[in-house]
Amino acid sequence: MIELKNASKKYQQGAREVHALRDVSLSIKKGEFLSVMGASGSGKSTFLNLIGGLDQPSSGEIFIDGIPLHGISDDELTLIRRRRVGFIFQFFNLLPILTAAENVSLPLLLEGTPYSEIKPKAIKLLEQVGLSERTEHRPEQLSGGEMQRVAISRALISNPAVLLADEPTGNLDSHTSEEIFMLLKNLHEQGQTIVMVTHDPRAAAYGSRIVTLKDGMVSEDISLGGRA
Amino acid sequence: MSVKYAMLGILAQKDLHGYELKSSFDEKVGDFWSLNYGQIYSTLDRLEQDELVSHDRQAQDKRPDKKIYSITPKGKKELEEWLATPVTKVRALRDEFFIKLVFMDKRNPAPVLELIEKQKTLYLKQMNQLTHQKVAHKKQPKKHDSLTTELLMDAGLFHAEADIKWLTLCESKIKSMMKNK
Repeated sequence: MIELKNASKKYQQGAREVHALRDVSLSIKKGEFLSVMGASGSGKSTFLNLIGGLDQPSSGEIFIDGIPLHGISDDELTLIRRRRVGFIFQFFNLLPILTAAENVSLPLLLEGTPYSEIKPKAIKLLEQVGLSERTEHRPEQLSGGEMQRVAISRALISNPAVLLADEPTGNLDSHTSEEIFMLLKNLHEQGQTIVMVTHDPRAAAYGSRIVTLKDGMVSEDISLGGRA
Repeated sequence: MSVKYAMLGILAQKDLHGYELKSSFDEKVGDFWSLNYGQIYSTLDRLEQDELVSHDRQAQDKRPDKKIYSITPKGKKELEEWLATPVTKVRALRDEFFIKLVFMDKRNPAPVLELIEKQKTLYLKQMNQLTHQKVAHKKQPKKHDSLTTELLMDAGLFHAEADIKWLTLCESKIKSMMKNK
């Protein structure tokens, strides 16, 4: 479903050339909940940017559902990203002037779909994450956990092939984090492919598979039940 | 020594015979604390000597009498006092890994770093399994003590996380010591 073949990413930092990712080959199966762990500078953000179509590899190949994410134009990449990838972030990234239902609808609004057509689905997604009473609230009227649940609904509005999460509970307390992870586990059980990047072992432990990155390379690949 | 109080706690809820006592113990804290029948019966004997529990005999067909244990008023008082007292001893750092670290040659850090790496992976695997047990547990219908089980699982996860963080710090300090030599 997501395939990396010898993917590398280099960039210049002043006079220095940084190898953020070195020759990484990995396949992520449909329905997998993959946690990617690593310290800062291990290459995990680069990894997420590459499989999310936010950036392209310097060399190597990346496919999502068989579609290449390398060697294409920025416009093509943007289109693939919008249709196939749902993102959630540490700081939720909701628009403060929009209601919860409008925030959830945003990805499809940007595609030109009228709000009246999207709204019923947005409401349904918000109901599924326990926010049926909050659909007309703005982000400032919501708690951190509620904002992240809005963000999860927004990520799901376009039925993405993969849900990408970047430290999704990095800004939440332990109890609220656990509620968010229970939601992600439910989505996973319904078949949603999830890739989460984190430095936190307690978060990573929710994955069905945990890959550790070190100096831009995969240093560890463990799966629940022992198969690697 | 806490086994004694765990057993008093169980008997404070209900009179039980030895076998039921073990089942109840396993159900409540079994994931974290394993106890064999020998330990159950020797602890019961000691509790009886101290007059904290007593037993009644129940006749059975063709088999020896069954002993039904119950907590005495003295036992109840001791349990209540124990429950109300905070624990003074902070979790002891006497894990086997620490002993290994003491005896490993720090002048040759490569094997130490390798061991740390393996140990971290092992803890991460355990956290992975425990987290999934917890998720499964949370989805089960709630029983009156399922919160306790969940809280114990949380404690296990936090401890493993602390161990991983500590090992990561060891790794980083050993590496910077190598650089500065």
